[in-house]
Amino acid sequence: MNARALAAAVLAIATFAAAPAHAKDQLHLYNWNNYIAPETIKRFEGVCQCEVVQTYYSDNEELLAKLAAGAKGYDVLVPTSNAVQALIRGGQLKPLDKTAIPNIKNVDPAYLNTPFDPGNQYSVPYAMSTTILGYNDEKMKELGLPTDSWAVIFDPKYLEKVKGRVTVLDSANELFAAALKYLGYSANDVDPKHWDEAAAAIKKAKPYWAAFNASSYIKELTVGNIWLVHGYSNDIFQANLDAQAAGRKFRILQGVPKEGAVLAVDNMVIHKSAPRPDLALRFINFMLEGRNSAELTNLIGSGNPNMDAMKYIKPELTKLPAVFPPKDVQAKLEQLKDLTVAQRRLRNKLWTEIKASK
Amino acid sequence: MRRQSPWLWTAALAAYAFLYVPLVIVVVYSFNDSRLNAEWVGFTLDWYRKLAADDDMLAAAGNSLLIALTASLVSTVLGTMAGVALHRYKLRLLPILVLAPIAIPEILMGVSLLIFFVLLNVTLGLVSVALAHIAFCIGFVAIVVRARLAGMDESLTEAARDCGATPARAFRHVTLPLIMPGVVAGALMAFTLSIDDFVITFFTAGAGTVTLPLLIYSMIKISVTPEVNAVSTLLMLLTLLLIVVAAKLSPTLLRSDREI
Repeated sequence: MNARALAAAVLAIATFAAAPAHAKDQLHLYNWNNYIAPETIKRFEGVCQCEVVQTYYSDNEELLAKLAAGAKGYDVLVPTSNAVQALIRGGQLKPLDKTAIPNIKNVDPAYLNTPFDPGNQYSVPYAMSTTILGYNDEKMKELGLPTDSWAVIFDPKYLEKVKGRVTVLDSANELFAAALKYLGYSANDVDPKHWDEAAAAIKKAKPYWAAFNASSYIKELTVGNIWLVHGYSNDIFQANLDAQAAGRKFRILQGVPKEGAVLAVDNMVIHKSAPRPDLALRFINFMLEGRNSAELTNLIGSGNPNMDAMKYIKPELTKLPAVFPPKDVQAKLEQLKDLTVAQRRLRNKLWTEIKASK
Repeated sequence: MRRQSPWLWTAALAAYAFLYVPLVIVVVYSFNDSRLNAEWVGFTLDWYRKLAADDDMLAAAGNSLLIALTASLVSTVLGTMAGVALHRYKLRLLPILVLAPIAIPEILMGVSLLIFFVLLNVTLGLVSVALAHIAFCIGFVAIVVRARLAGMDESLTEAARDCGATPARAFRHVTLPLIMPGVVAGALMAFTLSIDDFVITFFTAGAGTVTLPLLIYSMIKISVTPEVNAVSTLLMLLTLLLIVVAAKLSPTLLRSDREI
């Protein structure tokens, strides 16, 4: 092969590689795994005559790191509220053209205009979860333990009975929030003295816990190895579905502590580099239609801030206070705020001490 | 021949069990009739049926294979050249340049490559991931090839040159066949490193580019279904097939006991 033919071949390959595989319009959705119902995607693809291409992340920090380094090409992202705030501060988001999102009227005003994004300039709520207690109803009844208070995972008086059968989330922020709530403080309390108290409570309870577990506790609950967890409402809902599908005699139930709990709201936002902001707006408006929004809730048991979705949601779900908190529970739920650098350093230090303690 | 001691047999068996039992478990559980896959429930082929209909998972597996094949081929060629250069020319800077990517923490390399690609305005996608994988695989291939060359008798190449072979010809007919096991080992290593890399891939992959490790990692929070076992089983079979075919084509390829 002579040099010219070689060059032509290389050029041909390069053009082939660079050319988009589809001429069809594409919407790039950067989302959590399994966080949209397949039928919803199909319906949107039909409506917009486009293709939805999903890429996944498993942690807000992953998303932030990637975008901070300059990654481009994503249209819609679904970060949690505090990550939305960080993205706004970093100038990563495109303001939403509200005239293109009339369905925002369907969203419960309680979830709009939050301190994370005043006036919802950049974000609209998508779905939510609470961080609560999950338990094996048979075992907890047998042992006579309360399931409506954080005391059950922090107070040795109760823990003695379930030693080695309890797991807590492997997340400094979530566990500190729970401990602060248990002590009667706000989950967003930043007083170092209160943090020390929380750390002490965690250290005292730690010998009774089986593990810090953020990934396989659903499985452990379902199998019956673990009877009580500090976990996410979606996961606990899934665990119960799995337990019923496997024909277990017990149920995995959700317990909302009376002291209050952490609420995590995930929001739809448009990245500033979005190749198709027009499709992104159409998608956001589409997802705010009750039926589409309800499909996700029916699939994974996530909370839904959409008032129009209620009539499409399975009735057994709407009765769960952890998924659809009534007003009095709602008042005690808190969304976690970002920590400052100094606060984060202190929390990391306490967390390392906790992990290293016997 | 002296009888082997039973202890040696036991040790060998234990070592093989340690290596292969986890793989066997992955395969066995791909037939498990339970979404959670925590305990054995019953036999089913459902997960393979689900996999056949799961475009996301198949596309991810396809991307992973394509990237791994490209990365291992290209990095084997470049890495072999680097290995030979490392062996032949005692340049002071060369070892640092070739071997640094092995020592650099993956996360640092991932972020740096991402920033580099963004600066150059390279669209993130399969191409950027493949380039990144080639970059970190070269060093590993070079090390293996250089180790092989270190044990080679230089006089063989010199003899070929004495008999009138050009340097290229001497390399093609004498050096390359002798270092082939090292080259193949390097290629296999590059393939393995590439196909299961998460960190560097995470940073260099663009919107819509999903590889198998990226997909599986994102599923961990929601629980990994036996579908992942099924796709892993298929990939294992494919890799096994590649090795068997390679061994068939050249029986001495994977053996390093040839005189050198």
